[in-house]
Amino acid sequence: MKPLRQIAFVLEDFALQTPAQQLLDRFLLGYRRDGGFHKVESIKVVAHLPGGANEALARRVAELGLTRAADVAAAARDADAIIVVPRADFPTPAEGNVTTVLAHAKRGASCFVFGAIGSNLAAARTLATLATARQVTLASGTALPVTWRLPQVDLPANAPVDEAIIVVQGASPLAELHALDGLLPVLERRAGGERGMRQVKFLEGRELWRAGDRREWSWPLLSAALSRSDSPQGDTILDGRTQDLVGLGLVPKLATNPRGWLLEHTDGVRTALLVLDGVVADFNFAVRLADGSNLSAQLFRAPVPAQEHYSQLAASLEDFFRTGTPPWPASRSLLTAGLLDACRQAAAQPGVWLRTPELSLR
Amino acid sequence: MSTHSLPTHVSRRRFAGAMAGAAAAPLLTPSLSNAATKCPAKRKRVALITTIVRKFSHGQHFVDRLLEGYGWHGEHHISPLELVSLYVEQFPETDTSRDRSKRHGVKLCPTIAEALTLGTSRLAVDGVLIIGEHGDYPRDAKGQPLYPRFRFFKDVVKTFERTNQSVPVFQDKHFAMDWREAQETYRDAQRLGFPLMAGSSLPVTWRIPAVEVPLGTPLVESVSVGYGHHGYYDIHTIETAQCMSERRAGGEVGVKSVQAFKNDAVWRLLGERESTRRLCLAALNRSQTLAPLPGYTFADPSIEHLKRVSPFAVAYVFEHLDGFRTTIFHFNGTGTAFSRDTAALNDFTYAGLTQRGDVLSTLMFLPMPPTMSTLASFFSPLVNHIEHMVLTGQTSWPIERNYLTTGMTLFAVDSLYADGARLDTPDLRIRYQSMLGPHFWRG
Repeated sequence: MKPLRQIAFVLEDFALQTPAQQLLDRFLLGYRRDGGFHKVESIKVVAHLPGGANEALARRVAELGLTRAADVAAAARDADAIIVVPRADFPTPAEGNVTTVLAHAKRGASCFVFGAIGSNLAAARTLATLATARQVTLASGTALPVTWRLPQVDLPANAPVDEAIIVVQGASPLAELHALDGLLPVLERRAGGERGMRQVKFLEGRELWRAGDRREWSWPLLSAALSRSDSPQGDTILDGRTQDLVGLGLVPKLATNPRGWLLEHTDGVRTALLVLDGVVADFNFAVRLADGSNLSAQLFRAPVPAQEHYSQLAASLEDFFRTGTPPWPASRSLLTAGLLDACRQAAAQPGVWLRTPELSLR
Repeated sequence: MSTHSLPTHVSRRRFAGAMAGAAAAPLLTPSLSNAATKCPAKRKRVALITTIVRKFSHGQHFVDRLLEGYGWHGEHHISPLELVSLYVEQFPETDTSRDRSKRHGVKLCPTIAEALTLGTSRLAVDGVLIIGEHGDYPRDAKGQPLYPRFRFFKDVVKTFERTNQSVPVFQDKHFAMDWREAQETYRDAQRLGFPLMAGSSLPVTWRIPAVEVPLGTPLVESVSVGYGHHGYYDIHTIETAQCMSERRAGGEVGVKSVQAFKNDAVWRLLGERESTRRLCLAALNRSQTLAPLPGYTFADPSIEHLKRVSPFAVAYVFEHLDGFRTTIFHFNGTGTAFSRDTAALNDFTYAGLTQRGDVLSTLMFLPMPPTMSTLASFFSPLVNHIEHMVLTGQTSWPIERNYLTTGMTLFAVDSLYADGARLDTPDLRIRYQSMLGPHFWRG
């Protein structure tokens, strides 16, 4: 086990119910873990937040012994572990922050970037190279890979997979980040593991539905994913009824600004990331295995204000920091960063396959 | 008409019907018609007897799952039960039963007898659901709503007797608000020999984590923590505990006494009973809604924290005949009257202690609308168990559980309104064995 005497938070905002607050407070106060309330004992917590006074952070200095650092380098310098958190509405932190952290972190430290490690593959690779050179273990992600699933299922290890779908909501590029971080951890367990992406295509509006009709993505698999939702919109809002959203043809009617990305993996597996605002208000996925069976679940985002999925992430991070073993493969972090960029580029040319040879993993 | 092509797995008939309905009622998108959704095999027919059907009433949750289907095991499940008749007692402006009756061709009947016989001299259904929850009904002196569950049940029984036939019956939540009525309910079911299943969603909803007490576990104590208005929500917390406690070694043997505690007495109880305190905190560590202090989003669930966020608290202690003990806590927050907004938590959690000193704990998760969801999905596993009962004639759990939890609820409220008097409960010598299960939602 590695010592965990000091942890640094490099923040870009701080307010209640932001990822920054949820993660910082769990290392200050403790968090629910394995049926108890686990306190991270004897740890000094340091935070850097640019700008002037922040009342919420000042309260934590006064009440919980948080130490504020003057700059990013000072925060990172003596820390055994560093957590870099972007603004709540951003998928990645400022690149300079991560670079500074890696440049000043002590050898053997662990660094976790909440969200994506970088805004594109090149940036992510640069940071990963710097981390390796500095002997800092680097990982990135959100709480989605470790939150509870309803039901609590996982893809059987080495199961052959045909295709997958995930439904999320929200603005780009956070929606794409959530889709990727929700689905890639499931799919990487398939036979052969994740070998990267061959091409990406963006679709929106009617073209998205037409692509489903052409079997470029699967309506039945969408139905399986939506069957896991607790938050159908439309008539459920009006009178509480259950609805067969796909079977009744309601998805196109309810969706506002529907958009999606079709991903063709290098091993032929097809994935659809659908952003369906107005249809449901939770994240749900479905996977069709090669034997024809389906696996589906809701990625549970726990109720506010506690958002206990952050306790799940805090537990994974504490284990990471104490063992030096990242919670998931570094290649997932690189692929996510590369795919975010590919999704952005593909969105500029709707309906056109964007070849992504750089996202092939070996 | 939508411009996109038909999803390939959706039948042309269902899709066309849906679009036609949409044109007629643009605000309310279409539902499956009974004709369009019939399973290939002949479906079993059921009648539903309820107090009221409006958004988020229990009646609505059951009616719509039978008529519209529900998400189940990764697909939109069409019920193998055909709802053919409804008896509804109250029709507020927000009523949706008339709309459902018209669109789905479900007969809205003026009497319970007619709902069961469809005007014939024989039973015309294969099962009956009694949903006596919500609606405008008076409360008794103890604050319990006088929902007409027993009256509904007796009308069903009279129809069974008159036709000399009976079918499986589901009774939502506990049997009645009066113990003699509850006893008669149980005896009628025994006398006439029809399958009777009852209860709330708590035993069958998601668990986080998804754990079950292995049958025969040497449990010595159970604690359940919840919230809610007394007389309404006690049954939820009691069932949360009992569906776990009954799986202990030797099974359930009944309850010999009940005692209620309130406010300061609750804190004294927690101070005096180390194991109960330990289990209370273990349960609270599964809560995802415990109120934090201002300026924070979550809290370490200590007793001191509980006192700050919930000066109003109630506990019920049940001594079982084998020495087992169940304690129920309701932490209703800072308001003198219960309100979900001021409650100290909004969920139901369980912790059980084994003879070896191990603790098993979980959250019985209710994605409660409108704050956590738009759909009360926890009714789906309950409806699924009802479907199983009507199809097979087999209940998923012994009715003795519900007989006992009905008594535990009623005597607990009696004790609460008798200023915490300890009440002996010789009537609750109800012995039964749990079924293998698990019965909670896992798939």
